[in-house]
Amino acid sequence: MLRYIVKRIGLAVVTLFLLSVIVFGLSQMLPGNVARAVLGQFATQEAIDSLNHEIGADRPAVVQYLDYMRGFVQGDLGVSLASQEPVWSILQPALVNSLKLAALAFVIVVPLSILGGVVAGLRAGSLGDRTITIFGLSMSAIPEFVTGIVLILVFVIWLDWLPVTAQWDEGAGPLTQVEHLLLPSICLVLVLFGYIARITRAGVIEALDADYTRTAYLKGLPTHTVIRRHVLRNGLLPTIAVVATQTSYLVGGLLIVEGLFNYPGIGLQVYLSAQQKDFTVLTSAVLVLGLVVLFVTLLADILYGLVNPRVRFGTVE
Amino acid sequence: MDRETRRSLEDFRRNDASPIENNLIDELVDGQLNRAEFLRRGAMFGLSVGVMSSALAVVGEAAATPQGAVVAAAETVKIGGTARVGLAKWGGSLEPFKLAEAGSLGMSGIPGEYLTYSDNNNQIRPWLAASWKPNKTATVWTFQLRRGVRFHNGREMTADDVVANYKLYTGNKQSQALSIFEGILGPEGVTKKGKYTVEFRLKQPTGAFPYLVSQTSYQCIIYPGSIKPDQWVKSGMIGTGPFKLRNFSDKRQYNLIRHDQYWGGKPPLDGVRVTAYETSTAMALAMRAGQLDVVSAISRLEAQPLIGNKKFRILTLPTAAHRQFTMRADDAALDDPRIRRAVALTINRPEVSGGLLRGAATLGNDTPFWNGYPSSRAVAQRRRNVAQARQLLAAAGAENLSFTITTHRLQELPDYAAAIQRYARDAGINVQIELLSDAEYYGGGTDYYATTPWINKPSTITEWGHRAVPNVYLTAAYASNGIWNAPHYKNAQLDAAIKSYLSAVDLATQRKYSRQITTILQRDVPIVTAYHFTSVTPVAAKIRNFQLESINHVRLAKTWLA
Repeated sequence: MLRYIVKRIGLAVVTLFLLSVIVFGLSQMLPGNVARAVLGQFATQEAIDSLNHEIGADRPAVVQYLDYMRGFVQGDLGVSLASQEPVWSILQPALVNSLKLAALAFVIVVPLSILGGVVAGLRAGSLGDRTITIFGLSMSAIPEFVTGIVLILVFVIWLDWLPVTAQWDEGAGPLTQVEHLLLPSICLVLVLFGYIARITRAGVIEALDADYTRTAYLKGLPTHTVIRRHVLRNGLLPTIAVVATQTSYLVGGLLIVEGLFNYPGIGLQVYLSAQQKDFTVLTSAVLVLGLVVLFVTLLADILYGLVNPRVRFGTVE
Repeated sequence: MDRETRRSLEDFRRNDASPIENNLIDELVDGQLNRAEFLRRGAMFGLSVGVMSSALAVVGEAAATPQGAVVAAAETVKIGGTARVGLAKWGGSLEPFKLAEAGSLGMSGIPGEYLTYSDNNNQIRPWLAASWKPNKTATVWTFQLRRGVRFHNGREMTADDVVANYKLYTGNKQSQALSIFEGILGPEGVTKKGKYTVEFRLKQPTGAFPYLVSQTSYQCIIYPGSIKPDQWVKSGMIGTGPFKLRNFSDKRQYNLIRHDQYWGGKPPLDGVRVTAYETSTAMALAMRAGQLDVVSAISRLEAQPLIGNKKFRILTLPTAAHRQFTMRADDAALDDPRIRRAVALTINRPEVSGGLLRGAATLGNDTPFWNGYPSSRAVAQRRRNVAQARQLLAAAGAENLSFTITTHRLQELPDYAAAIQRYARDAGINVQIELLSDAEYYGGGTDYYATTPWINKPSTITEWGHRAVPNVYLTAAYASNGIWNAPHYKNAQLDAAIKSYLSAVDLATQRKYSRQITTILQRDVPIVTAYHFTSVTPVAAKIRNFQLESINHVRLAKTWLA
């Protein structure tokens, strides 16, 4: 197990390095430059040249990249080219915000969709199964900004139950924060519910049909024991992988939801940095997101091994 | 008018008045200026209220309203409460000399104030400057600062601060205000002449100079001169405004509290909370949900759900802001002025204004001289005439005209391009549309001005904000050497007229040259200006005495919550 984890971490380092090269390369291909983004389209060329020189954006790209990476490996993410603020002071609150939203959405969607998937799978073909499947599929097909606006209309404007923005006052308690995050979380839950529920349903149906389930029944085990020990344990394996792959979306891909609910998460920060060609923030944000995704994937793999005793680290990787 | 008033006016004219001031009074007496215009220009050239009142009395007009007077509201002013303001999020800096975006200029403009104030009638009024006087040729302007103005840190504002600020605005290479002062004022021209006296020595006569130091030159905030460039925000955004910064989370939320030593009297509100919104949709939704009291910079379309709702009031204000639909005068397909004029003639301006902008616009006439400018001369409104457009195309041998309009995804711009495409088709013109992202449209290579699409594509549509006077439009977008001359249009006759216009100090001369300029531009049509925006600002019904502005400033000094 330890050897497996070390190997995965080694691979993660290589992946992150390649990621940094790709992101930096792509950011160089973006039109415009930092100073133009900061000073606006009406700034004189002299002003642009002066600012680019001041922040070092006029140096060769390779030099800028190597400088950045030298700092990065020492734990220094550098300063934002656009605002001259330390990158970490920009990313940290955005990352914390995104993690809060992701965590709340995760806490709601995972049990809900697994429950929905299991119920649908156990009663495949029933009215309940069809309702869950059709509802899940429909919600997944509707873009987040549509569900978001409908939710705002119902829960904010008509019912006046929830705040419209996901921003709370300085020093607000956890319950207030949850109140502000509820609508964007529901928005995400609606998008993900159908997908996770369907995968769970398929896994459960497959497990129900498997030889080991039939054997368990033939051995005379009660239904609830068969379902708990054999069906769920095997049927949920694909779900773990699917949930893990959704993490990157939940943490870094919520541009629309963050925009609609005015929530300054890391998704918006990546977008803004790309717009401004602020490669220090952009690269750092993508690397941080990469780290989160790699960590969650590793966690999912370990969990996978624990749930499925047939998988043994070192033999099945 | 009594004899005493007449005698004192004559004394003033004989002993104290400058030629400019005497000329102004002559224009009033001769009927060239009406009351409003006289007040506007009198304020611009620093005539006192007493002199203006006497002059108006000579011609039988009512006395001038004291400058800066606030009409008493019928309701009793309530003290207290916090106004919740929504602004569009900005990507750049809040440092005054770098301001370039609607949201950031709105934010910095709350704690910050300016030397003069250009009101909604385009009349210039004293603000941090109490008065000003030009010399005979309008090349030297002497400003007397208001005494007893305290910064948020308690220190008194003096000429040292104003001089330090203006040396930065006119001298720092990164100053966004350079586009205003380029060729007019350099750092060497700003000098202290006394504790409360500042002199601006201009490079060329500029009759409208007081407008150039008003809030429409939104970078020119007055703050303590001891604060180094790029340190204003870090030092707490210290200005002279009615509200001072208490705390903030960067580009997210800003809490401001009442500045108790505010020179303009105690502001009724306890404070202001500004929230920066990622999208204007989110801001409009927050307003609709009753979680904001004032929003700035949303479109007429986004304000639509609020119109007719008793919880809100929609404030509108015609502005000079416009879209420039440019056609390159050096492009093989568009180099004949008849072709460009034909394109302009295909556009149905009332339909664009009524449909695309839901009526929140005034018609444009292919000139930067918006109807609201006193210097604008009434010129016949250009109307759609497809038959004439076809004739012009035939005369130019361009019956099969085809060209591409490049623009970016901002508000109604793509729809405006599509409307032009549709209208042009009626005259047999084939228009393609190239839509770019903001970054692509305003991006560019090392030699920015030679590569950026918005200045170099054969035809573009670009947004231009409101200006109290058309000076920047003329020098930057229309003059042959203008740095933002997107149509690459060069005309020595126009350059001469622009130069004469800018240096003219009397209205008659300004109008003479504005007419010349408009005539040339309507003939050659390097730029089509089909409409000028009417700004739409929704406020909560409980907001009282909100001071609406032509740009995205949020003035709350006298505002209160019912």
